[in-house]
Amino acid sequence: MVRYTKAAAAATVLAVAVTGCGGKKTGASVSGGDPAKIVVWQMGDGSPEQTKFLDGVKAEFRQKHPKTDVQVQYIPWPQATQKFQTAIAGGSGPDVTEVGNTDVQSWAEQDALADITTKMSGWAEGKDLSKGALANDQMGGKTYAAPWYGGVRAVWYHKDWFRELGIQPPTSWAGLVAAAKKIQDKKGVPGIAAPSDFTNGILSFVWANGGDVATKQSGTWVGTLSQPPAKEAIQFYAGLVSKDKVAPDKYVGRNELQGPQQDFALGKVGMYMDGSWALPQLEKVNEKDAKNWGVFPIPGKSGGLAPVFSGGSDLAVWKDSKYKDVAFDYLTILDSKKNAQAFASTLKFLPQFTDVLQSGTYKNDPIMSAFAQAAASGVRFTPASKGWADYEGAKKVVPNAVKAVMQGKSIDGELKKADEQAGSLLNQ
Amino acid sequence: MLDTAHVVRRVPGRKSSGPARSGRRRPRLGPYLLILPSLVIISVLLLWPVLQIGQMSFQKVGVRQLRGEPAENVGLANYRQILGDGFFWTTFRHTILFAVVAVTATLLAGTLVGLLLSALGKRMSAFVAGGVLIAWATPPVTAAIIFAWLFGTTGGLVGWLLDLLPDWLAGSGWQDYNWFATPLPTYTVLTICVVWMSFPFVAVSVLAGLRTVPGELYEAARVDGSTAWQRFWKITFPLLRPVFGVLLVLSVIWDFRVFTQLFIISGLANRDSFNLSLYGYSEAFGSLNARYGLGSAIAVVLTLIVLAVTAVYTRMIIRQEGVA
Repeated sequence: MVRYTKAAAAATVLAVAVTGCGGKKTGASVSGGDPAKIVVWQMGDGSPEQTKFLDGVKAEFRQKHPKTDVQVQYIPWPQATQKFQTAIAGGSGPDVTEVGNTDVQSWAEQDALADITTKMSGWAEGKDLSKGALANDQMGGKTYAAPWYGGVRAVWYHKDWFRELGIQPPTSWAGLVAAAKKIQDKKGVPGIAAPSDFTNGILSFVWANGGDVATKQSGTWVGTLSQPPAKEAIQFYAGLVSKDKVAPDKYVGRNELQGPQQDFALGKVGMYMDGSWALPQLEKVNEKDAKNWGVFPIPGKSGGLAPVFSGGSDLAVWKDSKYKDVAFDYLTILDSKKNAQAFASTLKFLPQFTDVLQSGTYKNDPIMSAFAQAAASGVRFTPASKGWADYEGAKKVVPNAVKAVMQGKSIDGELKKADEQAGSLLNQ
Repeated sequence: MLDTAHVVRRVPGRKSSGPARSGRRRPRLGPYLLILPSLVIISVLLLWPVLQIGQMSFQKVGVRQLRGEPAENVGLANYRQILGDGFFWTTFRHTILFAVVAVTATLLAGTLVGLLLSALGKRMSAFVAGGVLIAWATPPVTAAIIFAWLFGTTGGLVGWLLDLLPDWLAGSGWQDYNWFATPLPTYTVLTICVVWMSFPFVAVSVLAGLRTVPGELYEAARVDGSTAWQRFWKITFPLLRPVFGVLLVLSVIWDFRVFTQLFIISGLANRDSFNLSLYGYSEAFGSLNARYGLGSAIAVVLTLIVLAVTAVYTRMIIRQEGVA
């Protein structure tokens, strides 16, 4: 057995990809006549619900295009980046793809996604798409993707424990610590999970305190984590581990899925922060406890609700697709109000149609209402710079800074370094 | 590296089974024709990418360049950026220290098991050899996931076992101990995982070597009243020196570029535990804005280090063989 170096293996793939793409320069749409099949990329592992839903969409699509088969390929989220890069380089992409909403700008910038501005104007239901979410898919006045589903994070808690210990869902940071402490004392498990690889959740605390990662000042991104509002928030979050000791050390260097989620479902941690989309996973771990789980929005420092990061997925037509018109037809069926809502519900996300969101469908749902409430109080996005992918993806600046602070490093030093990184990475 | 590994690894087998070296006489065309197909495949699959990496390390290459846009030459900028980055030296230190510890442990464990195998009866020896070879055949990804579970916090077997031990011996609170929060415990787990996977090859190679040592030598030594320790250092080790040399070089090559296991048990969110491979990966592929040029430069540096170490040892082996 010979083991290649990783780089050599990757280079092999790339080298093959490069030579492979030399011959066929795609991009021109073949109009007229339906293709034999189109390829659709979906993120995830193809759960039975997902498969069943997509089978339904395919049937609906084939009523309009009977000659065209739809081939769905599932791509696990962690592999999406490399799969996209290989496909861009090799011209072997899909026709329609799901794409993470924070990635749209970067992929559009790298010529992965087709400009669908004119196609969007002919799509009746598309006019009701949430303006804020759609803005995230636009670059230089052109639209590169359509919002599909979205969601926000909040705090999951054990309703039965709160009832037993007489705790009300906290509405301030001090209240959050007090609740966690009480659980820790009475239940003998850590009060709350505070993983360090959790940028999108940690930022809620920063935003709640009036701070931000970086702000654009006369055209240049300037890191602002070391300024008092952000610093205080980071200090609070890291302090859950190092000062208040209501969060265990075992999630340092981890994300919310590497421990907290499972531990919460098993009753081994009092509270943890995650999106509504976690419910199916939590139920998979421990279904019989599901009725005891509740959710409250991440609180502001001394009341109110923290602004939350909006995560989710959008749909795009691949730039190298030869059948862009048919592909867009499929997109509109997948993202029709009926289908988008049905799919968002199975995943425990929210659809991105303003009128559907305001229709009161989610008011009475015990889990979804807290998320809808959090979303209503203010949705934020991370800096709209292509360099954010480096800041968060390659360097993981916030996770590593928070980890260092949790482990007792100087907060001023760490945040100053983080701001320097923001200055160099976000302005490229 | 692929071809070195092949050529070097063949040495013990050839010595044990083949006739004495006869290649010193006039070269014939036949043998070269026979290795031609594999040479062609190796150059297409290995040499070409290596050359590309070399070229890319002097360029600024992203996804757009892979689509055909000409890449901008940046001269030594990539290398300057790496070598000027204090973080590079942290990962460099981790790589070297890990290789030293892991190679030593691998050779030690492998030799001991090899000796054990040769001391065991036929059936037991086959059983044990089969057992350890399973560890060797385990894909790195599988092994890494298993070790991440073993040392995990929720239901991790190691934490549970350590907590079963009396507190004065092992302390307490292991079930919640985070093995992957700081570099030292992370590398401890990594070392165990990598050694576990690579010692069987050493063991089986040592066993193969031992089979070639004439039994009379040991018998004579035993008659003269030698201890097992003496027999190892005076007979086994000198005779198997070429085998150990090859095993050392191979272990160095493998352990210098450990990536998969560290990537899985620790990941990108723990930069303080990075080694060179992980650093290169994070620069090249970590973000959506791929930077293949910078990643290539790191890969080149890593390759040069491994080549240098390998060259020194290979020279030593060749010299010793020439003397013997």
